[in-house]
Amino acid sequence: MIESLALALGAALAVACVLLAARPFLREPGSASDRLREPGPLERERVRVEEERDRALGALKELEFDHRTGKVSDADYRDAVGPLRRQAADALSRLDGMMRPTMSMPPEEPRVPEPWPPPDEGDLPDPAPTPAPGEPTPGPNDPGSPQHPPMPQTGGPRTL
Amino acid sequence: MALLGRAALIVALGLLAYAALAGALAAFRGRRRLAESARNALVAALGATAVASLVLLGALAAKDFTFTYVAEHTSRELPLGYTLAAFWSGQEGSLLLWLLILLGLGVSAVLLNGRLTRDVLPWVVPILAGVATFFAVLLVFVATPFATQAAPLDGLGLNPSLQNPYMLAHPPLLYLGYVGLTVPFAFAMAALASRRTDERWIVATRRWTLAAWAFLGIAILVGAKWAYEEVGWGGWYAWDPVENAALMPWLVATAYLHSVMVQEKKDMLRVWNAILVAGAFVLSLFGTFLTRSGILSSIHSFTQSSIGPWFLGFITLVIAASTALILWRLPLLRSRTRLESLVSREAAFLYNNLFLIAFALTILWGVLYPIVSEAVRGVTVTVGAPYYDFFAIAFGLPIVLLMGLGPLIAWRRASLRALGASVLWPALAALVAGVGLLALGAGSSRAGLIGYTFAAFVLAAIVHEFARGTRARRATGSATWLGAFTSLVGRNRRRYGGYVVHAAIVLLLVGAVGIGGFSSSRETRLEPGESVTVAGYTLTLLGSDQRRAANSQELRARLAVERDGERLGTISPGKNRYFAEEQTSNEVAIRSDPLRGEDLFVIADQFRGQTVFLQVIVNPLVNLIWLAGLVFLAGSLVTLWPDAREQQRLARRFAERDSALARA
Repeated sequence: MIESLALALGAALAVACVLLAARPFLREPGSASDRLREPGPLERERVRVEEERDRALGALKELEFDHRTGKVSDADYRDAVGPLRRQAADALSRLDGMMRPTMSMPPEEPRVPEPWPPPDEGDLPDPAPTPAPGEPTPGPNDPGSPQHPPMPQTGGPRTL
Repeated sequence: MALLGRAALIVALGLLAYAALAGALAAFRGRRRLAESARNALVAALGATAVASLVLLGALAAKDFTFTYVAEHTSRELPLGYTLAAFWSGQEGSLLLWLLILLGLGVSAVLLNGRLTRDVLPWVVPILAGVATFFAVLLVFVATPFATQAAPLDGLGLNPSLQNPYMLAHPPLLYLGYVGLTVPFAFAMAALASRRTDERWIVATRRWTLAAWAFLGIAILVGAKWAYEEVGWGGWYAWDPVENAALMPWLVATAYLHSVMVQEKKDMLRVWNAILVAGAFVLSLFGTFLTRSGILSSIHSFTQSSIGPWFLGFITLVIAASTALILWRLPLLRSRTRLESLVSREAAFLYNNLFLIAFALTILWGVLYPIVSEAVRGVTVTVGAPYYDFFAIAFGLPIVLLMGLGPLIAWRRASLRALGASVLWPALAALVAGVGLLALGAGSSRAGLIGYTFAAFVLAAIVHEFARGTRARRATGSATWLGAFTSLVGRNRRRYGGYVVHAAIVLLLVGAVGIGGFSSSRETRLEPGESVTVAGYTLTLLGSDQRRAANSQELRARLAVERDGERLGTISPGKNRYFAEEQTSNEVAIRSDPLRGEDLFVIADQFRGQTVFLQVIVNPLVNLIWLAGLVFLAGSLVTLWPDAREQQRLARRFAERDSALARA
């Protein structure tokens, strides 16, 4: 009796499992679109550049925070901030270029640009490093200067 | 019901084989419905395995001795908790638990990462299913827990060493750690196979890796606590091969958790990270093989079996396949950036990785050498504690030093002047601690003194980091210091949770050095009324008692304890004689002093009439090891806690991508 019950339960389990596995074919018996989504070279490049952008912006925030806590000296900060900003700007510019062909499409509902990255350690005010004696004071257009214009935000048309 | 258990395992095996083959075909040919079918088969296999597990649990609870497994691992008098824990006490049950956890974690990872790693998942499913198929094959053809027999009057019982509360938790935690490492392995290999080597697989598996690593770490400590109380030699870690088998993947996973941050922030070490993920997984298989194959003699190995060759074959296959895949995709893994300076956070991570891996490899060699020696030369050799202790100091001290230095160094590059300013206060604290300890007489153990000085440096560095981070946040608008602190931790949980884990490692170091370098021990025989004094504790034998417990006869020596003239109560070390198992176990008595962090540890080696042969040990600071476990858990939880900010960032990125795809 118990053996028969066990057999029946085993058979029911097997049928249920097979039905679950076969469900995609039962639900769409003759589906025309049976291809897995394959990202093209453009999307792969976009992912790569997005990562570059995020990496550069994240590094900038980390640098700001480390500078604020005293882990990075003023001189080190000035040396590092310029290249990082250029990297971020370059990534943003390339992302813009990639998005541009799609801009010729009918205009979408305008998206409200959200701050990126969201307020983080880097939402601290831009520090004003004190130059060491004898060091030149960075000018307002110096990319390493704290007075450098803020980075453009993603999410909408931008000019660099 | 054994028939239902067997049927469920056969169904699971069929589904897993299908998921592996059909999934690989679907991923290779780009067939959507076939990929979905393979994924569903994986989910169904989890259901079938759960049914098989319930059948075994039911048989254990009912003590159905027609199940050979139940008869071999329980007895009528075994308490219910240990009876249910017998699920993972034997080889067949352990393998079933492996499969159940693997499918539970694998299915959860697949279902929860559907959006983030959509392109990678078609390859993840066959890889997970392939690993699970191996375990299902073992369970169906080699080591089935559902073999039946004519029911004997009573079972053989459970090994007395396993009848300990910590053993209820240790194996499942260990398996959650071992098996959890399958998830990052599957995603990493799938990313390579699908040529999606961007950071998505890292983001998708970050928490799974952290969780597996945390489980493994906690399991090692729970196992150490079990060994401390149950094996009863007065120590907590004996460099036993099975203990080492769990430590090795933990060390490699620790290296990975550090180096993956370098990949995320600097796009470096991509090949290295792929190797570490594969290495951690292979070592977790190797650990299971060591524990379950019976290839070596260990206090933790409770099995002699024939599954060894199967495991060796599978481990070889995994090494060959992952090596081939990494080599095949090498061009995709080349980093575009270089190390900018040897004095930088990423360089510190690199040094820490080298020491961690070197330590793991020396342990591996220590474990393998006796096996190789016996196989090749026919000579049985043992690699003892001095070998491991030497390398633990040689590699461990630099690792501890880097734990303190790393957080003080900035990413990319740090000038020596900035580094000097950061290091100044922690170094001064370490110096003061070292000189103070020397003055207090801690110089009797040079390694201990250096260890404590380094520990002081790391702790001071952690406090320094928290303090200046909180100050910076307070300066930028937080209303209160507490608000600044919580905001600091909440905005970078991985970093500050990591520091808490570092503090746990320091506590562990302090406890381990305490027990290793400064413990006191004495062996003696006492007649009733006689006393012995060790490290300020005086023990007086009051007499011996016997009593019958549920499944054993207990023999205890009653000892009155005093310290500096103050009565601290009595303790009762002794032995248990288990009826069904026909085995005797040592039951040590431990009196912990939470304020001092030390233990009075007493072993009753022999009873001859009224005479008791005792070993009395005083282990200073040993309780910090167990406290380290709690701090480690707290730090791991901080790092694991979901970060809403990151979720928003990823959601935004996918929204951008989906929108671009829709337009295209």
